[in-house]
Amino acid sequence: MLDPMSDKHYESRFTFPLLKLIKERAIQKDISYHDATLEVMPEYIKTIRYGDIEFEDALIKKYEEETREAEKRWQKMLQSSGKGG
Amino acid sequence: MALERIADRVVETDVLVMGGGVGGCPAAAKAAERGLNVTLIEKAKTDRSGHSGVGMDHVMDFPREGVTVLDYVKYWQGRHHLLCGEGRVVNANIGYRLGASAWWALEEMEKLGLQMKWDDGEYHWVRHGWFGAKIMLGVHWLDVKPTLAAVVRKRGVNVLERTMVVDLLTNKGKVVGATAVNTRTGEFIVIKAKAVIIATGGFARCYEPETPQFYKYKMRYHGAPGAISGDGYAAGYRAGAELVNMDIGTCWNYRMRDDITLDFGVIDHGDGIRGKWLTWKGEEIPFPTVKIYEEVERRGLDPIYCSVEHFPEDYQKRAEITIADERLISLKIGEDRGFDPRTHRYELMINKPINFAAIPGLYADETFKASLKGLYVIGDACSGLGGCGSAIMSGLLTADNMPNFVSEAGEPVVDEAQVESQKQTALAPLSVKDGTEPMELECAIRYICERYVGIFISEGKLREGLRRLGSLRRVFLPKLMAKNPHYLMRCLEVRNIMDLAELHIQACLERKESRGNYIRVDYPERDPSRDSMLTFQRMEDVKAVLEIKEVPDLKPEYAKEGK
Repeated sequence: MLDPMSDKHYESRFTFPLLKLIKERAIQKDISYHDATLEVMPEYIKTIRYGDIEFEDALIKKYEEETREAEKRWQKMLQSSGKGG
Repeated sequence: MALERIADRVVETDVLVMGGGVGGCPAAAKAAERGLNVTLIEKAKTDRSGHSGVGMDHVMDFPREGVTVLDYVKYWQGRHHLLCGEGRVVNANIGYRLGASAWWALEEMEKLGLQMKWDDGEYHWVRHGWFGAKIMLGVHWLDVKPTLAAVVRKRGVNVLERTMVVDLLTNKGKVVGATAVNTRTGEFIVIKAKAVIIATGGFARCYEPETPQFYKYKMRYHGAPGAISGDGYAAGYRAGAELVNMDIGTCWNYRMRDDITLDFGVIDHGDGIRGKWLTWKGEEIPFPTVKIYEEVERRGLDPIYCSVEHFPEDYQKRAEITIADERLISLKIGEDRGFDPRTHRYELMINKPINFAAIPGLYADETFKASLKGLYVIGDACSGLGGCGSAIMSGLLTADNMPNFVSEAGEPVVDEAQVESQKQTALAPLSVKDGTEPMELECAIRYICERYVGIFISEGKLREGLRRLGSLRRVFLPKLMAKNPHYLMRCLEVRNIMDLAELHIQACLERKESRGNYIRVDYPERDPSRDSMLTFQRMEDVKAVLEIKEVPDLKPEYAKEGK
């Protein structure tokens, strides 16, 4: 994780993988990004594990546990009289 | 014939739809399908205007997977409870009507030519953040607006684009049409209508946007276009319809800095996983309500950030898809700024009123009938409705019943003196030289709301803010100048913004308590006598009227049916 307060947080170069595919298709077929998106999207979707309920449930469970822990830490911090986090 | 002498054009129609967004277009198309003569007014270009002009990634919630209509109603009430505290803050019957009509609306949307199914030919159900059940319908709607605009034209709707409504026309307590100006030619138009549907979205422009000031009108408010100057709220109010909740429920808690957009759906629902909220030191905190944010700030932990770095790659891809569906340009903006959600955090500019929608709005019953005869209100313009899905549904439902409304309405009789007065108001800025630019005045109004209302509200600040606003109104509103008809639109917008900012402050002055995200520093406790008692505001005989009234509970027949 980049420190959000540093300039590097805003200077690094990055292209969303989907945008990369869109750009490539747009150049290859000399079409707009919009039209390339309509072509690329169905292919990109096939690489996603939609419908894998077991996979989703496990992630959600983990997320909920982490959230509960965060809530506990927050409550503990509220009870402390010290300044700062 | 006198009307023709006052106006450049007179249009006669059964139904006038004000606003050609994702609610107005389906309403106009459906009313036309039902055999009515329909006119639609849009101040921009219908093909890409409004909240969904750049796309949508999901639409509506459906009663399925064990979630009933009543569960859905409770969800809305519970969600509002998070923002606004104990009691009801919206008409629960509206939520019921939406839930009960979801499957009907799905078929209607298919008839409009909208692609409801995913690439595999099946409905794509997405997990809802509250229920955890797959009740949201995921869609690829990059082109929802061009599709809707095309069907509107195909069904013979008279579309007046680049046209801004000045005010509604009324006669004997009934809405009989509206006046408007063409923002390219300056043409002054009178529209006589048996019924008017307001579909102009919410209101945001009395507070700072999330994009920097120098973008001027191209700024973007969280999840909303810069165009939302509350035109429908203000026109309805001035005509005598009731506005409600201009004090509470004015935001979705957070907004994201610099227009680097991860859409709201991803953070709030994320197909089962939400974003995480972090202090600048990287410590996770609970969902940042105003009270939590206050504590964060007091402890020196601000600014706070949202992170989706815990999303596995598969979910990062899901997020990319929703961004592409909802706002394709955001992928490019992210790239231009080197922003990778896998490793970067979104600064949240929290936590003040940013968007008057969902809870505030024109008050309506579950048939979307406003408190003024002949006036209907749908989408974000209606209190109790929020988001694109409910805008489409409320538009379809209202229009479906419109033949009944219209048949009872009788012929509209227009008061010529009222038209003359509205014409003078609309066109006056064209004659002003060396006056005030509309954006100058708009910025001054925003400054007042930021400085004197904002998050932590108190009587002294509100009174000073109201005084300053009054001063702006007296001195600068008459000096508004328009160098061309386009700027007439800006002048009319700022007039609406000023009226609504004033109503906002007046409503806050009257609510002497704290509840939910509404923090009156001088009244820190909740006043139980205000539970379910809302602030209604309307104009009567050119005077502002404010009343505290109870909002209805779910009707017994709905409570029984919805189980």
